[in-house]
Amino acid sequence: MISVKKLTKKFDDLVVLNNIDTEIEQGEVICIIGPSGSGKSTFLRCLNMLETPTSGQIIFEGNNLTDPKVDLNLHRQRMGMVFQQFNLFPHMTVLDNLTCAPIMLKKESREKAEQRGIDLLKRIGLADKAKAWPAQLSGGQKQRVAIVRALCMEPDVMLFDEPTSALDPEMVGEVLDVMKNLAKAGMTMVVVTHEMGFAREVSSRVLFLADGIIAEEGKPDQIFREPKTDRLKGFLAKVL
Amino acid sequence: MSAWIATLHQTFIETGYWRQMLLGLQNTVYITLGALCIGVVVGALLAICKFFSEGNRALRPLELFCDLYTTIIRGIPMMVLLLVFFFVIFSGTRNKLGVCILAFGLNSAAYVAEVIRSGINAVDRGQMEAGRSLGMSKIQAMYKIVMPQAIRNILPAIGNELITLVKETSVAGYVGVMDLTKMGERAKSITFDAVNPLLVVALTYLIIVLGLTRLLKMAERRLNRDKR
Repeated sequence: MISVKKLTKKFDDLVVLNNIDTEIEQGEVICIIGPSGSGKSTFLRCLNMLETPTSGQIIFEGNNLTDPKVDLNLHRQRMGMVFQQFNLFPHMTVLDNLTCAPIMLKKESREKAEQRGIDLLKRIGLADKAKAWPAQLSGGQKQRVAIVRALCMEPDVMLFDEPTSALDPEMVGEVLDVMKNLAKAGMTMVVVTHEMGFAREVSSRVLFLADGIIAEEGKPDQIFREPKTDRLKGFLAKVL
Repeated sequence: MSAWIATLHQTFIETGYWRQMLLGLQNTVYITLGALCIGVVVGALLAICKFFSEGNRALRPLELFCDLYTTIIRGIPMMVLLLVFFFVIFSGTRNKLGVCILAFGLNSAAYVAEVIRSGINAVDRGQMEAGRSLGMSKIQAMYKIVMPQAIRNILPAIGNELITLVKETSVAGYVGVMDLTKMGERAKSITFDAVNPLLVVALTYLIIVLGLTRLLKMAERRLNRDKR
């Protein structure tokens, strides 16, 4: 579904991602782990071109996103993204947050968009918050709404950029539950996370990013039980 | 007290000069509103040009022009700018009010542009990214996501600019435009009453500014209703 070919990203002279190659298949749940500063978030943000790669290609559903001629906005509609800082639109109610993009970009009718919005809110137990403002929600509620906002565009893949890192500990669980259900429903997901429990339990493949390369990858069991490289062993010793 | 009212009556009513004072007020309002319209429109254009040209090499000349404009306008006193407009650019014009509006408007635009630009920059970068990640174009995200939030930052500062503008128009008399201040001056020299015309002029400005302040407070409260 997404092919990453020789992806390199430099900020001035600093090489953040160094010649990364990987394939993300339909239905995979990929967790990206690694020490801070290893380029995890940058990698994720390159996938939907929020960061422009210095060189290399991102092929999404057969379209080369790094080609300047390609209509990025169209392809981004099929890649949902969830941010560490939620980034809900504070000047819109929760329901408007969910419906504004489908109405604007897919020319959906308000009724249809709102219906789906409310259905999805019900599923995460926040139907009563439809008319609330984002400022009235807790962190966990905000992040769940942010996930639903991305889902309202009916994306083919969901990108999560440390979705629980800005949350109070007691709210992490509710967000992870929503993500687990999403994974069970077969959504293709790429998750940058520090939640090793989640990575272990839910992911189909784990990428360990260090020093700008995929230092090790594999099934979660393999990564967490039998790490091969010293780099990964050292990292796991610190976080587990 | 009654002696003072008698003086007021003498200065403004008996001479019929209240009509001129009203005319002056009318001109002050025209200049202010006209300049505000020009200021906001041109200022917004400058700010948007700057926003889109930043970091885009092809639009570098546009960015330079915007920078040059704000630098020049902000570096010249309003008074001098007005004189330049009247005696250099539009020398011999008959439409004094029009030139005056243009001068004040283009002056305001430089400040409004900076206000809008900083208002846009104050909106968290994540907002634009969230809009873009949903598939909005830069312009769509700007219009639907960033601008409505920027206006909250911008409005109080534009209000300040408007208040400054009202009071700054009092120099229009220097180039022979009959604004409120000029009319007060004339009332003074015609009636030989040195106190009351100036008092009335000063009070009128004060009342206008107080009214504007209230309006702005109301508008701000409306815009901030989601922050309760």
